[in-house]
Amino acid sequence: MTNNGTRWALLGVGAATAVGVGRVVARRRRRHQPDREDGWYVVRRAVTVDRPRDAVIGFWTDRERLDRALGEWASVDQLDDRRWRCVARDPAGGGTEWRAEITVDEPGALRWRVEDTSTPQEGRIVLTDAPQGRGTEIRAELRYRSGPLRRLFGLVGGDEPDLALRDTLRRVKALVECGQVIDTRRDPSGRSPAQERATDRMREKLMTGGRA
Amino acid sequence: MRALCWEGVGKLAVRDVPEPKIRAEGDLIVRVRASSVCGSDLHLINGYLPAMRQGDILGHEFMGEVVETGPGVRQHKVGDRVVVGSVVACGGCWYCRTEQYSLCDNSNPQPVFTEKLWGHSPAGILGYSHAAGGYAGSHAEYIRVPFGDVGAFGVPEGVPDDSVVFASDAMPTGWMAADFCGLTGGEVVAVWGAGGVGQMAARSAQLLGAERVIMIDRFPDRLATAAERVGVETINYADTDVLEALRELTGGRGPDACIEAVGMESHDVGPTYAYDRVKQSARLQTDRPTSVRQAIMACRKGGTVSIVGVYAGLVDKFPLGAAMNKALVLRMGQMHAQRYIPMLLDRLAAGEIDPGYLATHPISLEEGARGYELFEKKQDGCLRSVLHP
Repeated sequence: MTNNGTRWALLGVGAATAVGVGRVVARRRRRHQPDREDGWYVVRRAVTVDRPRDAVIGFWTDRERLDRALGEWASVDQLDDRRWRCVARDPAGGGTEWRAEITVDEPGALRWRVEDTSTPQEGRIVLTDAPQGRGTEIRAELRYRSGPLRRLFGLVGGDEPDLALRDTLRRVKALVECGQVIDTRRDPSGRSPAQERATDRMREKLMTGGRA
Repeated sequence: MRALCWEGVGKLAVRDVPEPKIRAEGDLIVRVRASSVCGSDLHLINGYLPAMRQGDILGHEFMGEVVETGPGVRQHKVGDRVVVGSVVACGGCWYCRTEQYSLCDNSNPQPVFTEKLWGHSPAGILGYSHAAGGYAGSHAEYIRVPFGDVGAFGVPEGVPDDSVVFASDAMPTGWMAADFCGLTGGEVVAVWGAGGVGQMAARSAQLLGAERVIMIDRFPDRLATAAERVGVETINYADTDVLEALRELTGGRGPDACIEAVGMESHDVGPTYAYDRVKQSARLQTDRPTSVRQAIMACRKGGTVSIVGVYAGLVDKFPLGAAMNKALVLRMGQMHAQRYIPMLLDRLAAGEIDPGYLATHPISLEEGARGYELFEKKQDGCLRSVLHP
């Protein structure tokens, strides 16, 4: 084969590979994209809590336990019979606040809405009995509005609403089941302060969006 | 306080670190009296699980004395002598309720790594990298024990520290390995690996009814110790064809159950082993499954293969066809410490199992790096170095 022929053959193989890889990457991305409905991104996440439905509802209506459990990262105020206001803060200590209005529709079903934010969101939660006496499934559906660019930056910055939803479900499960969300961030180590900060950033990545 | 820290692949050093504090109602602070090295630490030290950070405190198999309790602790008080299971369990999730403590839903605060690697995140483990929660370990003067009422157990009077320390991990791991085998009495059990866990598995199999236990390793001194202390038959794979030997020793049937207590850095002789080493060094596979392959090939038709050696990721040339066509039962897992420790402490106190002889090298914390070197290179007849901070 001439030199020119080799060049064209390599170019052809390269182009075919690039197209093939591109298609696989695009398909993978599509599979991991949230659904779109009426201009909203929609994600559905669920967690199973090893307690009967009444105990899960009871956790949220026992004010003292709730305050103790939420402690440093959120506060809840009752507005009337059915409506509550929840203010959550970034547990890592950043200044971020997240205000939601929560409406209880019936025992085991509630809705929330967050409006004073750059990514407006609404969601609902339904509690159902898990099979084989394994407790209660908390099923959440989250809808949020976000432009593609904002979503991309959100994903990179780790504050994508889906990740926050998964974190919240994991926290709720832990609080109901064992009364605390375990944290190893301030465990002793032989690291310098700079190394500890770098390790904390890595810990944050390993904590964000994980499920039990 | 002083603590033995990981400083990079193959590097350990004792450093001054802050003392741990009570962080939650159920926490205990324990002054460590004995903390053993463990074969599974070697995978972390040697960088086969890429989730260690410089400065992480190693160690997960330990006992000590309670020096502070959180306000929610009910079972323990200051001054109690306790042994602590290396697996952290919350005691409140479905897995804990069904005594599958190493699968606890709530004890790994950093679940993303293992969720990506394994599909779900199992329990956290003390001193066992950021994949297992990033907990500080026990090769230190003090350690925080979360969920103290679930994970710590009062120790019977009169049993020495260097025996009790193995009730933290080696004994429950060995017991679970034998428990997996479903022994009903009279079986022949083969055990790969004559280290602490393998020897405890052999003794457990005897207590659960095995008639004969055959142990496979390449170190004559370890095999001799196992023969003398536990009463097992031995095969040295360095000079014997293991599959042929096991066949002959069992009248052609093969062992009823095969326990693998070696893990991802297992050794062998011959070209397949060389191939595995090259692949693992190039990170084309994370684990060397040499002894698992042998266990599957050796096991009798319809038998059980029980794996308690630690594996982290992907293996090559796994004989799934042999396992499938011989209708084998494969059981494996990190041990459910909290399920077995109370029963094992009773057996320890009654003298049915005495793992004290495993502590061949009691040393100070300051000599920790040397302790690991002796252990890894099997120098000076080292079965386990036990650190005394």
